[in-house]
Amino acid sequence: MRAMDKNRLIVAAGAVALGIILQLLIWNGTLNAYYAQVLTMMSIFVIMATSLNLINGITGQFSLGHAGFAAVGGYFSAIITTRLQLPLPAPMIFTISLLVGGLIAALAGFLIGLPTLRLKGDYLAIATLGFGEIIRVLFLNWKYVGAAAGMWGIPGYTNFIWAYMLAVLTVIFIVHFMNSSHGRACISIREDEIAAETMGINTTKYKVMAFTFGAFFAGVGGAVLGHLIRLLHPATFSMTFSVEILLMVVLGGLGSITGSISAAILLTFVSEALRKFNELRMVIYALMLIGIMLFRPQGLFGRKEFSLDLLTDSRFMFKSSKNRGA
Amino acid sequence: MPILETKQLIKTFGGLTAVSEFDIYLNKGELIGLIGPNGAGKTTAFNMLTGVYQPTSGQINFLDESVVGKYPYEITQKGIARTFQNIRLFKDLSVIDNVKIAYHQNVNYSVLDSILQTRKYRQEEKEITEKALEFLKIFKLDHKSQEYAKNLPYGEQRRLEIARALATKPKLVLLDEPAAGMNPQETQELLGLIKWIREYFDLTILLIEHDMSLVMNVCERIYVLDYGKIIAHGTPQEIKINPRVIEAYLGEEVPVC
Repeated sequence: MRAMDKNRLIVAAGAVALGIILQLLIWNGTLNAYYAQVLTMMSIFVIMATSLNLINGITGQFSLGHAGFAAVGGYFSAIITTRLQLPLPAPMIFTISLLVGGLIAALAGFLIGLPTLRLKGDYLAIATLGFGEIIRVLFLNWKYVGAAAGMWGIPGYTNFIWAYMLAVLTVIFIVHFMNSSHGRACISIREDEIAAETMGINTTKYKVMAFTFGAFFAGVGGAVLGHLIRLLHPATFSMTFSVEILLMVVLGGLGSITGSISAAILLTFVSEALRKFNELRMVIYALMLIGIMLFRPQGLFGRKEFSLDLLTDSRFMFKSSKNRGA
Repeated sequence: MPILETKQLIKTFGGLTAVSEFDIYLNKGELIGLIGPNGAGKTTAFNMLTGVYQPTSGQINFLDESVVGKYPYEITQKGIARTFQNIRLFKDLSVIDNVKIAYHQNVNYSVLDSILQTRKYRQEEKEITEKALEFLKIFKLDHKSQEYAKNLPYGEQRRLEIARALATKPKLVLLDEPAAGMNPQETQELLGLIKWIREYFDLTILLIEHDMSLVMNVCERIYVLDYGKIIAHGTPQEIKINPRVIEAYLGEEVPVC
């Protein structure tokens, strides 16, 4: 137990140190604006991937609606920052807009979750896919937020440190949730829904809960994204976006948070690195995915977590997240 | 006063009547067997008792309260636990986590407590872990607490499934063919285990079983189900010589000309 607490401190300190170092490097110009932007994108995708993992990997409910939740969060937060003239300092406006975006996305997740979570597997995937499209088309036709022309003039509040901090908070939230009894209830639904129910677990409640939390962070991610690229367009939140996030989750390993983080960073990096070979980019990207699925279908990390405990006390580099108890 | 009582329980699937005229009662502390040929409707009856299926009509009273229309998780919370014919462990979770999940209904800390890792959360998690370990010790599984459930030998998986069901603190346990797929020695061990948990946890047990020696050995009363109907009810001795039971299991006697 002691060693674990110590390792947790090391991880926390490491996360803080990494954030500070990167921010300092950005300030003194070692990392130029382009790299800062890539790092910010990585952080945003960490938020998106880990929150989707909460739904798909941990609770085992196959959702393809993440772009929809991100759109809800993005648009509503942008309404706060552009349409309302709040007499507050910028960071506060941004915080409020992130919260509002997240909460409205969570509400959407809750409302969508109640009826659709009775569906299983492919059927749920199709239903959530449909939901994502409905959201996109709604924004495409909503004049107040620019309809097909998109929403312009969004202030560029997002910078690296905002995105990084939010990513860290998201990860902390999800990891803590996973290691609680509520998280175990979600995991038990993934493992065997009927058995979970006979263990006295209200499966509907926990499925909706996971969906709502996942949607909240997707909404926050969408809000951060909107204030980074300063333009929201319905086309950004198409099915491709959902699929891209899903790829990160599957690549990292369904149910592995560290896997999702690594995959989000890796895939953002790869897609940027391949920008030079623009025509071949998607081909290489796809080939890489096929290769990984052939040689490691459970994803890079499987269901395991990379953890420091192991470096200190065990034979393996990877340890099951589920064995933390003792 | 019976702890569980069903009255005129009927379940139809479309035009097929899977179970009808299902009337049983279980007194507190009894160990009752439910036997019948394949397809007689035993598991359907179990599924109705645990809320997996809704009965088409009829009553189920548990502790003087109707449980018809309740969700399976509510029925578990009321004190009916079950195991499955085909073991349904959380295979990819550790042995101890399988038991910890059963404690879920008794957890008092909120989601917020776990996110903020409050003292309440840490305290309760510590208690749950200790309790789960202690529980595994009773079932002699504590040395394997960190192993994946799927890696246990078959007999131990059964034991873990029973342990997990008991961790929900039930008053009534329904065991669905616990001896299925076991060799005679494992069956003997299971027999001992069933007798022992009944004493130790002060339980009432309803047992579905094909293995006649097991049923005849441990059960006080036996219900025999055939074509969805209770055709006989009585002590093992009575059941053994009941002509309708013999007919259901072995077929009719051909009259000697």
